[in-house]
Amino acid sequence: MNVDTTVRMGELELRTPLLTGSGTFGYGDEFRTLVDYSKLGGIVTKSISLEPRSGNPPPRICETSTGGIINSIGLANVGVDSFLVEKVSILPIGETKVFVSVVGDSVEEYAEVVGKLEAVLGISGYELNVSCPNVKRGGLDLGGDRDAVEAIVREVRSMTKRFISVKLTPHYSVIAPVAEAAVEAGADALTLVNTLMGMVIDAERRRPLLGNVTGGYSGPPLKPVALAKVWQAAQAVDVPIWASGGMVNGTDCIEFLLAGASGLQLGSVFFADPGAPVRVLDEMIEYCERHGVGRLTDLIGCLEV
Amino acid sequence: MMTTNNIPIAEKGVIEQVRKISNGIWDVTVFSPEIAGSSCAGQFVHVRVTDGFNPFLRRPLSVGPCRGDYLSLVFNVKGVGTSLLAEKHPGDRIDLIGPLGNPFVFPGDDQHPVLVAGGIGVVPLLLLDTQLPGSVARDFLLGVGSTDCLPVDDVEIRRRKINLASDDGSIGYHGTVIDLLERLLTKLKRRNVVIYGCGPGTMMSALKDVCTARSITAYVSMEVPMGCGVGACQSCAVPRADGDGYYLVCRDGPVFDATEVDLSTGVTL
Repeated sequence: MNVDTTVRMGELELRTPLLTGSGTFGYGDEFRTLVDYSKLGGIVTKSISLEPRSGNPPPRICETSTGGIINSIGLANVGVDSFLVEKVSILPIGETKVFVSVVGDSVEEYAEVVGKLEAVLGISGYELNVSCPNVKRGGLDLGGDRDAVEAIVREVRSMTKRFISVKLTPHYSVIAPVAEAAVEAGADALTLVNTLMGMVIDAERRRPLLGNVTGGYSGPPLKPVALAKVWQAAQAVDVPIWASGGMVNGTDCIEFLLAGASGLQLGSVFFADPGAPVRVLDEMIEYCERHGVGRLTDLIGCLEV
Repeated sequence: MMTTNNIPIAEKGVIEQVRKISNGIWDVTVFSPEIAGSSCAGQFVHVRVTDGFNPFLRRPLSVGPCRGDYLSLVFNVKGVGTSLLAEKHPGDRIDLIGPLGNPFVFPGDDQHPVLVAGGIGVVPLLLLDTQLPGSVARDFLLGVGSTDCLPVDDVEIRRRKINLASDDGSIGYHGTVIDLLERLLTKLKRRNVVIYGCGPGTMMSALKDVCTARSITAYVSMEVPMGCGVGACQSCAVPRADGDGYYLVCRDGPVFDATEVDLSTGVTL
């Protein structure tokens, strides 16, 4: 049985629903010899800001006793001008769809970064990061503010015809108001969820394990949180949902499709298994064959409640 | 700081032997022809310690001595990940990515290399010692806490002519490896010395101070908590000595010229 893995999102056709989670896949080139790009529907780059950011003090990553990881990178990136000079040429444009993640401290910064990126041919769209837990501004402060999210999306929408997804935080119990605001302002999709703020303490030394004290919690423990947010958002809005949250295998991905996602971002799993796209896609196809499902998209939102 | 154009390989190695060297220190020999055949001293492999996802992250381990198609992973059991690694059996398959990072810069013709190791930091220096041409005269110093935590076999210590220092005086010179180095440098004063160092943070800082005071070039290999290993996630940051942001240990290191990095923070070995 041939399972159709393609998924349409607006004007775009992705060859699979698999995407990379922003911040886990660099500028799209670092994993080149380890990841099979042909299994990816697209990549989402590190978040790009107007000015370069050197990031948070180390240590920036640690494991948790609960089976996940916490990072506090702090949106380290080269800034949009260096991105245009140094990184655009290594993006896998033509091999898979490329979405550039954008972050800023203000509406104007998001707009300025997108304005510069509009000149780059081959970029399929943008993911607006309004929810990083590791920076004070351009992060959670914005992401929880319905008016701020709406203003950012509306401004960027006025500048581009390209696909826009808005990456939201899992921190609010009711996701619908911000999700609806993003869609009303012109978002083509929503990405759910960014990492959950957490911390890890070394009791022996009475110190936090991260230089920034707190960080973003990700990996398998985030999955139930993300599933709930994807499901809630899918009830509230009528745009594609890109799921992000602890997926490590095909079953995880199928669960997110059933909850209503149509894009599936693999993130932290790349640190453990860069071969994940091949394995995960095989496992999803095996599920479809076992259940007589001809197209992966037939599973989207098919949760029976 | 230098950057090579490495092409990391994902390879399923097969464990040949698992051996305890001393208290808490293990040597896992892996049949891994592609990585063993292409690794240079100072580079590392990113080791997946479980088939599942708990613990989640790979462990970056220095490439130790390679013999033909075999790679030696020598490590200190510190937590869950390294414990799982020490519990592997011959015949088990192990998921490796490597070789990663930049190797040591070999000494020039007129330079006298001095290898300075603290504890398990000896591992990359063992491979450097192996890969240096036999005609190159060198000194190899190793500091340990005590004789019961030696990271190298007696036979290897003799064969490689390693000079030992121990904190408790139970073997070799009674004192730190930095004291031993100072004495050696005084003896070698007319030679054009280049130092290769790897060890705990306090030792590395002291090493840098000695080299700065004597205007000696030192290359140091660093270990810090790491995510992807290939420069994508930017987790393994170490502060630049000039204060202008950070280097990444996986991409810009793990070997650095000691003058380029702030060794006072972040080093865990």
